[in-house]
Amino acid sequence: MKDKLEITHPAKGLALLTINGTGKNNLADAGLAEELLQVCEDINFDSGIRAVIITGAAGKDFCTGTAGGKKSAFSLSGPVAALNCPVIAAIDGEASGMGLELALACDIRLASARARFSLPYIEKGLIPSDGATQRLPRLVGRAKAMELMLTGETISAQDALQIGLVNRVLPQKELLPSALEIGRDMAGKASLALKYCKEAVIKGLDMTLDQGLHLEGDLYFLLHTTNDRTEGINAFKEKRKPRFKGK
Amino acid sequence: MSGYETIIYEKKGKLAFITLNRPQMLNIYNLRMRDELYEVLGAVKEDSEVYAVILKGAGEKAFCAGADLSEFLSAPSPTDARRSRWLRDVWGRFLSLPQPVIAALHGYVLGSGIEMSMCCDIRIASEDAQFGLPEVALGIIPAAGATQTVPRTIGPGRALDLLLTGRRINAREALQMKLINRVVAKERLLSEAESLAVKIAGWDQCAVRAIKQAVSRGLDLPLEEGLKLEKRLSCS
Repeated sequence: MKDKLEITHPAKGLALLTINGTGKNNLADAGLAEELLQVCEDINFDSGIRAVIITGAAGKDFCTGTAGGKKSAFSLSGPVAALNCPVIAAIDGEASGMGLELALACDIRLASARARFSLPYIEKGLIPSDGATQRLPRLVGRAKAMELMLTGETISAQDALQIGLVNRVLPQKELLPSALEIGRDMAGKASLALKYCKEAVIKGLDMTLDQGLHLEGDLYFLLHTTNDRTEGINAFKEKRKPRFKGK
Repeated sequence: MSGYETIIYEKKGKLAFITLNRPQMLNIYNLRMRDELYEVLGAVKEDSEVYAVILKGAGEKAFCAGADLSEFLSAPSPTDARRSRWLRDVWGRFLSLPQPVIAALHGYVLGSGIEMSMCCDIRIASEDAQFGLPEVALGIIPAAGATQTVPRTIGPGRALDLLLTGRRINAREALQMKLINRVVAKERLLSEAESLAVKIAGWDQCAVRAIKQAVSRGLDLPLEEGLKLEKRLSCS
């Protein structure tokens, strides 16, 4: 019953989630949200997946939220933010409304040169309700976040790069290949280190610096009990490629 | 001031200079360096004659290329390692210095090198500087604060890009990401750091220390509490 979210595995340990919502502007609805929730729960449960890429179907926008920007009871960002492993968003075309809020829940955002970003809720007398009022200021700072939310304006990929909303801008043809390259590389790394690193960053930002440093320390010493850590250090000393097992 | 093996400590007027000094080893951080930094930072903290500090690396090639991995698998149990991490909390001591600290960065600034620079207040780099956090490739995560200090400085999006991919960036990209404050020609790195330190050392030191404290402690507080802290510090 997966018709709005296509799941493929381009490499071992890598899941590619392709959003195929209604129309060329890739609208989100409750059905998509339900599929996304199920898939994300499965990924967290299945330790075989080490990295996730989320993108829009070929030729469509990344995702432009609900039809007519209507208020919705469902969430796209929640299930994605709950993923333990690294998540890369590959954004072509428009990422707006809930679509942009979904991208904000990812860890690394790549954009094609023709990508555009906006939170047009204010035009309908609404506010963002899938996380943007919290995640956007934490990502780009208060001033730029306010500007985007209070004006509803659309910004280009280059502007998004400059304010730190996206990490890299690529020619459209290179977008998915670049995301796959990063994803494959991550899927070959020590999965526990990636997960703990993400946890330390995200949970740590909700703590005082001192508390965050203790969290980092505890996760670091916990990793010292893993096989992957011993393999990683030995491989470095022996100048060979490590073979990580996720244990 | 001598007796150190892995660092050099010098005082010149109101400035203190800490130089990471294992140039033949790209100034990589080892247990000896930890102990010596811990000691010297304790002395700096108590030294009211020191108005500003400069942290730099000896040699041509590196500020600090990371941690000494030869010591890594020799550690005792993880519980013992955890205990000594907090018995000699060198990073906590570093962050608690009341004086502003300027990092002068050149060549390799990797792993612990970035982390040490993030304990500083202002980062100046020369054009040849290269930055990276390669820990995840080794099956570990940073342990000198990078998962906390980097996102607080450049935001979670850029921080996760560096931390989860382990990729290298040059000085220009580091500047664009706001990981560093300025990029200068290599021959001007130390003079630039020093003139900045001299300028800071020329201000009223109560004000300088109050600003550092208000900013660093304030970031841990809700805005309203931060504003109260600022007010308290401005009256003292």
